[in-house]
Amino acid sequence: METILFKSRYYTAYQPEKGRCFFVDIRGKKIRMSFCQLLAFRQKVLAMDLDAHFDSELNRHGIEILTLCNREHLFILDTLEVIDLKMFVQGIFAMSELHALVTV
Amino acid sequence: MKDLVRQRLSINVDVMDLLNEQIAKEAHSSSIYLAMASWCDHNALENSAEFFYNQSKEERDHMMRIFKFINDNGGMAISPEVTDITHDFNSLEGIFESALEQEIAITKSIHNIVLKCRKVNDLATENFLQWFVKEQMEEEQIMRKALDLFDLMGTEGIALKLIDERIPKIKE
Repeated sequence: METILFKSRYYTAYQPEKGRCFFVDIRGKKIRMSFCQLLAFRQKVLAMDLDAHFDSELNRHGIEILTLCNREHLFILDTLEVIDLKMFVQGIFAMSELHALVTV
Repeated sequence: MKDLVRQRLSINVDVMDLLNEQIAKEAHSSSIYLAMASWCDHNALENSAEFFYNQSKEERDHMMRIFKFINDNGGMAISPEVTDITHDFNSLEGIFESALEQEIAITKSIHNIVLKCRKVNDLATENFLQWFVKEQMEEEQIMRKALDLFDLMGTEGIALKLIDERIPKIKE
């Protein structure tokens, strides 16, 4: 049994009922992440330079290569997917903050 | 539903980002002080060199304090990359002016994180940062004391040597 933690256009984050981990669905590939890996994932995504996607010299092809879990997974993302991914990772943690507010 | 993120992380995630930025600033500061120490060493200003070697170490200690705090509370501290360290200095007075500017920038940055903590009710980090608020006041005072010596004694000839002799006392 899994609960959807947050869902964006291209990605979904799940939290299983048992086990202290997360699952992230990227292009139909469900990736298991520990909390540490989730933080590393967030860090990588937030560090992506979105402005460079709109500058043909900085990012000529408008793509981003995302490696996860010590390069166990590799994704090539276009600009729309990167925009969505940035909102997605912020959404995962925003849900936790909302949860904290509700349960105070 | 159990809140796994909260179970793992005691501090606010946005505050964690700011603390990681602060780690990079402290590391940058440490490296700048090292460059200043190097200039002083090359210009036979031994006491000033020693002062900046110590400052460099202190900034690194500050960085490590934040680094450990993030990790101890379930976050992920990011090891910083340090670039753009200038080694071009003209005078000891200029160095101390830059050092004061550096400390003021660090103070502002710490204050910004404290304000963010208040906004998101991260009381643990706010409490942790109180030490830094006090420390930064002292750091600024030390740099001002050094600059006072230049106002008092001038910057030419023997005055520079006399100032260098008095530098170890400004921390007392």
